[in-house]
Amino acid sequence: MRIKLLALVFGFGLGIGLLAGPAMATPARDTPWLPEAAAYRLTLFLGNLTPVPWDELGRAWEEPYRGSEYTQGALDWLAGQSSLPTEPLTAAIAREDRAAVFEAATRLVSARIDEELDAALAAESPAAAQQAVRTARELYRAIEDHLAAADPEAARALGRAWLELSSATGSTGVLGAGATEPDLNAMATARVVVSDYLAANYRVADFAPRTTLTAVPETIALSGRAVTLPATLPPGSDIFDQDPLPLLVLGFEEQGIDETDLPLIAYGDMLFDSPEIFSGPAREIGIACSTCHNRSDINQRFFIPGASHQPGAVDVDGAFFNPMFNDRRADPIDIPSLRGLRFTGPYGRDGRFASIRDFTRNVIVNEFAGAEPTPFMLDALVAYMTEFDFLPNAMLTGDGRLTEAAPEAAQRGAAIFNQPFDGLNGKSCASCHVPDGNFLDRQAHDIGSVTPAYEGSRGGALDTPTLLGTVYTAPYFHDGSMPTLAAVVNWFDTTKSLGLSESERADLTAYLETVGAADEPYEDFDTENTPFRLAFAELTTFASTLDTLLPRRDTQHILLLTDTVAADLAADAGTMANLVARPEIYSLAEHLAAVGAEVRADDWAAAEASWAAFQSEAQAIEERAF
Amino acid sequence: MNSMLSRRHMLALCCASLAALAAPVRAQSAPLRLAFIPQENPEKLLGDIKAITGWLSREIGVPVEGFVTIDHAAAVEALRNGDADISFMGALPFVLAEAQIGAVPLLSEIYRDAPTYTGRVFVRRDSGITTLADLRGRDIAFADPISESGYLYPLAEFERAGLIAGPAESEAFFGRVFFAGGYQQAMQAMAEGLVDAAGASQYADLLLAPGQQSQVTWIAESEPIPSHLVIARPGLDAEMQENFVNAMLRLNELEHRAMLRHLYGPDGYVPADAAAFDGVRALARRYGLLQ
Repeated sequence: MRIKLLALVFGFGLGIGLLAGPAMATPARDTPWLPEAAAYRLTLFLGNLTPVPWDELGRAWEEPYRGSEYTQGALDWLAGQSSLPTEPLTAAIAREDRAAVFEAATRLVSARIDEELDAALAAESPAAAQQAVRTARELYRAIEDHLAAADPEAARALGRAWLELSSATGSTGVLGAGATEPDLNAMATARVVVSDYLAANYRVADFAPRTTLTAVPETIALSGRAVTLPATLPPGSDIFDQDPLPLLVLGFEEQGIDETDLPLIAYGDMLFDSPEIFSGPAREIGIACSTCHNRSDINQRFFIPGASHQPGAVDVDGAFFNPMFNDRRADPIDIPSLRGLRFTGPYGRDGRFASIRDFTRNVIVNEFAGAEPTPFMLDALVAYMTEFDFLPNAMLTGDGRLTEAAPEAAQRGAAIFNQPFDGLNGKSCASCHVPDGNFLDRQAHDIGSVTPAYEGSRGGALDTPTLLGTVYTAPYFHDGSMPTLAAVVNWFDTTKSLGLSESERADLTAYLETVGAADEPYEDFDTENTPFRLAFAELTTFASTLDTLLPRRDTQHILLLTDTVAADLAADAGTMANLVARPEIYSLAEHLAAVGAEVRADDWAAAEASWAAFQSEAQAIEERAF
Repeated sequence: MNSMLSRRHMLALCCASLAALAAPVRAQSAPLRLAFIPQENPEKLLGDIKAITGWLSREIGVPVEGFVTIDHAAAVEALRNGDADISFMGALPFVLAEAQIGAVPLLSEIYRDAPTYTGRVFVRRDSGITTLADLRGRDIAFADPISESGYLYPLAEFERAGLIAGPAESEAFFGRVFFAGGYQQAMQAMAEGLVDAAGASQYADLLLAPGQQSQVTWIAESEPIPSHLVIARPGLDAEMQENFVNAMLRLNELEHRAMLRHLYGPDGYVPADAAAFDGVRALARRYGLLQ
């Protein structure tokens, strides 16, 4: 399984830009959004969910988006920066009128662009003009990708107009030297190009009804022309891997077996990292199994507005990923770890799937809208995922007893853990979290942690989770409502009337923290073991399955592999510390893409030659670059 | 570059910064005052200033205050009149400040193991453009007319190639010359096909989305440009200067490295070498920015 880390940057804000084209599991960091531009993008995103999360949509304008560098929400920000009225928008949100919200928000953003262009032309200094043009351009970003997809010619004309505008503002020079005056005529000419288009397309009196809320220009919307929009995530989204990156423990690897000698597992490893097995927005924005389950574990930072109620949680049967599977309930769950997966069945938080194979198919087809996987794909994924092992922990024996390395408090806590309580119906913690069964019992119990969905509901039983590795998987419970293991102990003590003293709670917590600990929980990167090197090794391991697939003339599975790995390899080159070697990686990616193109053309000799070229270059890079 | 500062916001921020920067100190001495120039959202910069001045106060043992200036000129003016002791600054404004007020270079930023970087001329890989001469009559976007790596140094490569005699002739060589307002804007304009080339920092392709990065390449690279630096006003107490430099160099140590993200994000600092700026001084003279 490979990794997806932030591209290294040069100390200034860079651009989650998500591109159309081949799905890639390497996101780019999002350039910060201006508050009103962010609120507009969130309005389009949340307004297209069914049902519309109106509270969240309101907050999109009232509060800074998650991760914003601004302390103010869009409405407060506008109150200080703009003279435009926001009442039409706030009134439309208050009456939950989707069309009116779209129209008011679109007009507002458009008018803001014009307001800043007015300020640019009236500016008394190049610095003020530049600032106003920059702000206007950043606001234009709120509609830019949809405009470009719908009306490329206009996008180009506007793109040139923005260049003209920024060029014509003049320069303040540096410390009095090199100053140039603004060219007001050039500025005025260029702003007309922008403002006329906005007036005709984003500030019309009556917008045509829209099924999907988009920033497609009104004239294009009226023409009825089909427009394919790039899938994007709204501001505040975070699909990067968590940092520090969890350590992956694979059974075969610990036993010294090379993954390239295990083609079924290597192919499953590739699929675990491939957005290509999904469709719809998940595929387009590059979400793979590994996006949520970093290195078989969790991703504490994963967040998508409207789908996540907090970082590390996601509603996989909501409106965003697969409308067909939308259960119309806002019920995001905390992402579970897949460590020790072969011991943790049944699967799903309520144990609804007895088989990991059925669970996996459901994830692919229903949760993320993918095509029906082949038996080979399911076999490969299951073969790979059942290699996920728990983290080694020197304080715990295989049958769940504490070793001498465990602290004293934990030894005391072990006695409490095994003690029957009346509040637990005469059972102990260990009754369900069975120490010699990897701290679970493979059953579902209703412990009262789930708010009943309706009166008389018996839907609160959840599958007992393992306690192994939990020190690194906060927060806890199905909905992530418990921030720490101490909070979990307090919850049980309070709700089950266990009657523990403060020191007993501390001892029990120490026990949980000892059972849930690990010798090495995270990947240890250094100058030798770099994120790129790890990604490179994984991608070339994936590619090694071509040794098995090419002789079998297995077109379908070859293409799945080349489409996944070629794009990722090229994208990962941007994370290389050794930037000079990037062209070599691009060349490698092109060989792999060529294998795919040649297999599509049924030219197997050429495909084998390209594969040979890939292997030879990869070997050379391995020896030289590392 | 890329300041999001508005004039309306400026006054409020300056006042806020003064109020926000009271840090615990061990000794009662005259404060060391640091001027910061906003490169991005000034609200974020205020938080960064609070963090770094607090850390420096503890390390040096004197109160350290920080404030945001509008631009390089205001920072240099603050150094001149004694409102600031130290400022963060680009190489070009430093050589001008050196000439104007005798500013002293203290520390240079390190990126990827070097206190220098370069400017490059980038093109799309599928453009067929392989040499600077191929850009005759074509359109180019630079970052900003006073950007070292985003204009002056890349343009100097056209001079070196004998294609233009000086900056004044660039309009005659190219189809159009645009100043896009920043590295990212210039690179994006090139990647989207609005222009044929972009002049920007050697790392500017990393500002593109990963899929775009593999679609662009560069055809010329400038001489090394000294990276941004930390400068002092002339006459700053030598002991204070030494203590500040030593504290800043401790940011290179593993336990303090996390503080670097509050300082424009370099990988570390090294003592500045005044001679390393000779190339910048020469370029500034050639371009009429320095007498």
